[in-house]
Formats: sequence, structure tokens, C-alpha cells
Amino acid sequence: MRTHIAALALLVIALGTAHADRKQSRFVGIHPIPKAQGGGICHIQAPHVHVYAPVDVKVQYRDHEGWNHFVGDPVAYGWDGPKHSYYGHHPIAVDVVVGDDHHDTEYCYIEGPHYHAWAPAAELKLELRGGAYWYVGDFPTAYVEGKPTYDAIDVVYQPIRYERPVVTVEVAPPGWYGAIVVAPAVVPVREVREVRPARVQAGVEVHIPAPSLRVEIAVPSVQIGIGGGVIVSDHHDHGHRRGGKHGRGRGHGKRGH
Amino acid sequence: MMCFPAARYRLASMLRSLVLGSALIAVAACGDDKPKSPDADQLVTAWRAAKLEVSPLTEVDAKTYAAVSCRGGTVSGVDVVVCTYGSGEDAQAAQDIGLTAVGEVTGAALAKGTRLLVVMDRRKVDPSGRTIDAITTAFRK
Repeated sequence: MRTHIAALALLVIALGTAHADRKQSRFVGIHPIPKAQGGGICHIQAPHVHVYAPVDVKVQYRDHEGWNHFVGDPVAYGWDGPKHSYYGHHPIAVDVVVGDDHHDTEYCYIEGPHYHAWAPAAELKLELRGGAYWYVGDFPTAYVEGKPTYDAIDVVYQPIRYERPVVTVEVAPPGWYGAIVVAPAVVPVREVREVRPARVQAGVEVHIPAPSLRVEIAVPSVQIGIGGGVIVSDHHDHGHRRGGKHGRGRGHGKRGH
Repeated sequence: MMCFPAARYRLASMLRSLVLGSALIAVAACGDDKPKSPDADQLVTAWRAAKLEVSPLTEVDAKTYAAVSCRGGTVSGVDVVVCTYGSGEDAQAAQDIGLTAVGEVTGAALAKGTRLLVVMDRRKVDPSGRTIDAITTAFRK
């Protein structure tokens, strides 16, 4: 029976996959439906196929064992299910989100407040403060390497009008590195304190925010960098990004220290 | 409470048996860590509990899915086929066969234990995927 199945599977792969690849796209988890297909959100969480391709696949999706996994903000596309607020960049335990055993840590590069349909995995250093999760761990080199490609995700969301989570900037936890995104509104003037530049071992320049850093903002739609953005820590988590269309290696070991 | 020696011995013996019995049950439960395969009737019950409308599941040609046996029908207008295999590996290997059977519609082919569930929205009744999500969620539980 097993030989028969293997032979049939090979035949299917040989004859059918070319056909299926031409027509089917593989998804795992919820994702936006292209406008041409009616728009909105596909609610299927299990691995599934559609006969349309993912939109903005380069920045909005990550490859998970050959399946496209959406890492953007589903609320922007009409998601009305459970949602959790985040602020700034953070890691995503894709295997925990989709519920399989293929260890896979990816990174979300959305600036400022945004939603995901899932709460962060317990082992990741995300701190809940002011109603949002903030990543207070170190970012590994894999995150830095992904920035040139994935930072463009904000361009995708700029024209979309939807209600982002309201997060009080002042509550950013110590250890958080990122950029404060200010909504188009008049914000009271506050004290600004010095941001000290520093260097870390990998030669990447970072700015460490002074304690109790406060920001002066009076211009609408201003984006202000606080801190240096990244601490490169080569000693852990760099092996977590896995193979796929971005040439990542299979991850192992602990994640998100 | 005062106990006579004989009664105390019997009580201790009963307790030991109880502890041993519980431990054996626990070991037996933990030893089988393979995913349980819901049979078609259990799935129908789970789907109905999820407020899905389930048609009778009738026999389907198992050769199409290289399976031992298959049953198919509709769940809230979405086509489903539930197949049984000789082993979990066979069911896993048949997922690609299931996806090929899905063809040019939205669908899924999921293995759990020795079962394979194939879901196909041939009539395009589920554009948001809510029904397919409920069908697959019940299968994966």
C-alpha cells in the first residue's frame, strides 16, 4: 500500500504539481484577499490553497515550509476576530502562530501601533504596556539583514485608512528600541533630553536613549527615531530564520532571549 | 481517628493499589503520543456542534486518494472527503494527492493520524473562508 501511495504521489507531483503550481498558491494562517477576488480577509487558519497569488508577497508574507504566512496587520483588511496591539518591530514565532513543529522565527517591521491576530509567544521578550506589546529583547543579525527588504511594509499601509490601536507613547518600557510614530494630530510640547550615541561590538552604531526620554513633537505626521533601533547580538537566535525564498537556514535552539 | 493494625494495613494496601493504578493509566495515556484520528462520525458530530450543516457522508472512490476507504459529502455547501489510511505516514504522504484533488478552487488537505481531510469550495459558497476554517478547526482539534 505504501509503495502504491508513493508511486501515486510521485505521479501526482510529476503530472499535477506543474498544473497546481500554476494555479494554486499555498497559505497558512489568515491573510488578505486580493481586491480582484473580492477583498477582505480569508479566515482559514489551517494550511490551504487558493487559485490567486498573495498580494505584496515580498513584504507582507514569510515563507513557512513552502506556505505563505501573512505577517501584516489584518485589521487593515477588515479582520474582526481576536486582535492584539503591538508597537514597533518585534519577532514572530510563526510555528506557534500556525500551530506546527517547524521552528520558525520571523520579524515584523511595521512601525508604530499595529495589530496582529495573535498574542506573542510566551518565550519572546514582549512586554505588555499601555495596551500594546513592546519588544524589549535584542534583535539578532537576521532581523538586521531583513530590514532592507521588509521595512517597505509601511508603504503598503500608508494609503489604508483604518483604526490603529491607541497606545500611549510615554509608557514605552525600558529596553525598547524603535521609532515613535506620531499620528497626524497636534501633540503637546514636551521636554527633549539627550540621546547618547554608542557603538557595539559588531560595529553597528546605535543610540541608547537616556532614561526617561521624552519627545517634543508639534508637527503632524512626524516620525522620530528614539534610540538606535538595533542591538546586534550574534550570540543567539541568528540561526532561527529558516530556508526559503530569502535563503535562510533552518533554525534551532532557543528563541528570543 | 483510630485504626486497628489490620484495618490500617488494608487501607495502606488499597492506597498503594490506587496510586499504582493511576500511574499505569497515566503512563498508558502518555505513551500514545500519536495524534488521534477522528473518524467520520466524530467529525460529523463536531461539525454539527460548530453549527455547520452536514450532509450524509457516503462512500467515495478511495483510489482517487490512494486510501483504504473514503467518505464524502458537503458541510455547509463545501465539499469534504474523509479518508482512512493504513498508517499516519501514508496519510501525510497523501496530502499532496488531496491538494491535487482540490484543483482550481479554494481548499485544503490535512492529515491527522491515519485520516486525511480534503475540503473543496467548488461552489464558491465560502469566499471569506469562515466555513472552511470551522471545518478544519474541528478536524485539527
